[in-house]
Amino acid sequence: MKLYEFQAKEVFNEAGIPIPKSRLIQSIDELSIALETVGLPCVLKSQVLSGGRGKRGLIQVVKTKEEAHQEAKKLFTHEANIKSLLVEEAIDIDQEVYISITVEPEAAKALLIASSEGGIDIETLAVEQPEKIVKYPIDIRDGLQNFQATEVAYGFNFKPDITKQMIKILLKLYTVFKQYDAELVEINPLFITKQGLVVAGDGKIMIDDNSAFRQTRYAQDLSDYRTEAEYEANRAGIPFIQFDGDIGLMCAGAGLTTTVYDLINYEGGTVANYLEFGGPNYKKALEAMEICLKVPSKVILIVTFGTIARADVMAEGIVDAIKRLKPDRPIVTCIRGTNEARAVEILKSAGLEPLFDTEEAVRKAVALSKEAK
Amino acid sequence: MSIFIDKSTKVLVQGITGKEGAFWTKHMIDLGTDVVCGVTPGKAGQHVEDRPVYNTVKEAIIHHEVDASMLFVPPRLTKDAVFEALASGIKKIVTIADGIPLHDMIRIRQAAKDYKALVVGGNTSGVISPEEAMMGSFPHWIERVYKKGNIGVMTRSGSLTNEVTAMIVEKGYGVSTLIGVGGDPVPGTRFAEMLPYYEADEETKAVVIIGELGGTMEEEVAEAINKGVFTKPLVAFLGGRTAPKGQKMGHAGAIITGGKGSVEDKITALTKAGALVAKRPRAVGELLEELNVPK
Repeated sequence: MKLYEFQAKEVFNEAGIPIPKSRLIQSIDELSIALETVGLPCVLKSQVLSGGRGKRGLIQVVKTKEEAHQEAKKLFTHEANIKSLLVEEAIDIDQEVYISITVEPEAAKALLIASSEGGIDIETLAVEQPEKIVKYPIDIRDGLQNFQATEVAYGFNFKPDITKQMIKILLKLYTVFKQYDAELVEINPLFITKQGLVVAGDGKIMIDDNSAFRQTRYAQDLSDYRTEAEYEANRAGIPFIQFDGDIGLMCAGAGLTTTVYDLINYEGGTVANYLEFGGPNYKKALEAMEICLKVPSKVILIVTFGTIARADVMAEGIVDAIKRLKPDRPIVTCIRGTNEARAVEILKSAGLEPLFDTEEAVRKAVALSKEAK
Repeated sequence: MSIFIDKSTKVLVQGITGKEGAFWTKHMIDLGTDVVCGVTPGKAGQHVEDRPVYNTVKEAIIHHEVDASMLFVPPRLTKDAVFEALASGIKKIVTIADGIPLHDMIRIRQAAKDYKALVVGGNTSGVISPEEAMMGSFPHWIERVYKKGNIGVMTRSGSLTNEVTAMIVEKGYGVSTLIGVGGDPVPGTRFAEMLPYYEADEETKAVVIIGELGGTMEEEVAEAINKGVFTKPLVAFLGGRTAPKGQKMGHAGAIITGGKGSVEDKITALTKAGALVAKRPRAVGELLEELNVPK
């Protein structure tokens, strides 16, 4: 789960990482008070989870109250569905630095990544100028040691008082990484101000979903989902992504669903949604179909090849879901796995024409999706 | 021959009295696996499928010779259970748990390295040598998938493995040993680490890897081929060629970051190393034939 910038900064602040003076607002009415607290000039930062906010015009620097109101109004009515703005003091920037901590799966360590070239896309820099990036593996039994943070910080060749601040920030960033079971904690840019202070300009924290049971502070709510179907799927614990194509997927197994997604693209079809009801969800055919029917697709394609999930149980669930929900669009099935012969019987007796070959099922779904146009 | 597990491998089951543990222990035994005993704290004295249950692994290994431990333990307790098995000197461990915390997995993999042990999983079906033995939750009774033969299979997936393996079997091949390394971002054991075992196994004539976008495991396989660690024919199938960039789709391990982990990069690396990459599951069997891999 990805935190919003304002949440990440809240965490940083509590950990002792300096952040700019700021105020979060949910409506234009709160702007005046925020401006009084923060002062002018300031920055209006849209709180959305997607990246590239600067390029999309979702971050605006404003110099006057009038300008602030004008821009805030634009942002609150922006198509990006912005629910809140972080009103933040403008910083006199001397330099921008990049720091992050993530995991290194092969070495089984945490990895501190730092660069004196902050504020840019670190992934592009990694490809174009890899020598400008420092990668420092950390043994998570010991955590980031003081001497290690010192080595990294001195590598930047800053003035001594800035280096000292940097060491503290690196150590604190590591405590956040550990405390929040993070996949990634990132400060990009980390500002060095003209006044000689080191301040987090942005904040990104990605919490490991598997640790959700012990990371309960930040839970997602309805406003974080783009569609009702996404919200319903999340509530039901069913992995789901909505696209704008024609074929709704109701498949089992993450790898198989991804492969069916590829096959549809190869055959010239388009995907309306990714939905996976395998593993522990294999008895949730009814919920899965309900979610699929909320998506404006032209055909629903069901492909499974169960490992633990039994084909006959899935087939029964699907037939029951069809009886109850009376879908308004064609359904193509390709259900294999344990008790697959029985599954075929169940599907046939319900008037379906079960297929047994994934590619054939994909071709049929693509053809049906085109006929429906 | 097979790798990792065969009929002679003595298996302990941690979490043997649980619903899942008892169910799959029976199926493991049905296939021919030598399950010698089980462990569930507080259940000592009970029996599952006539196998004695102990409170701790330490106690179990006093009474039994054990080569490997199979874990049917919930994700939150997996780290502790793996550490328990490692501390008792067990060198082969399989965990199928789906949902092991990321930072726990780092510790598990690190500990496995320290103990020079192999921990396979989590988020996998486990390891199976068809018609011989298995550790995990495979529907070994599906004959058009779990057929004995000479192709080594490694995979990050469950259902997709059935799909691809069925295509291998359709062409008249079978499987020596199938290893599900799992779909998590930090698997306990990585593809390249199992290649030397397949290389040394006379029965295995070729290896199929079922990979996907995200991570660098497929690139490491290419590197192993380049270094001459693995010299047999290798065919890869990679899911997620057309997946939208930056979108978390599929397994947690499958997200493209940092220009690394895209399927195109993996195809380039594997092809350069001399491996063949199948575009569709069906092509995997066809490519094995093209390479003249004996049946």
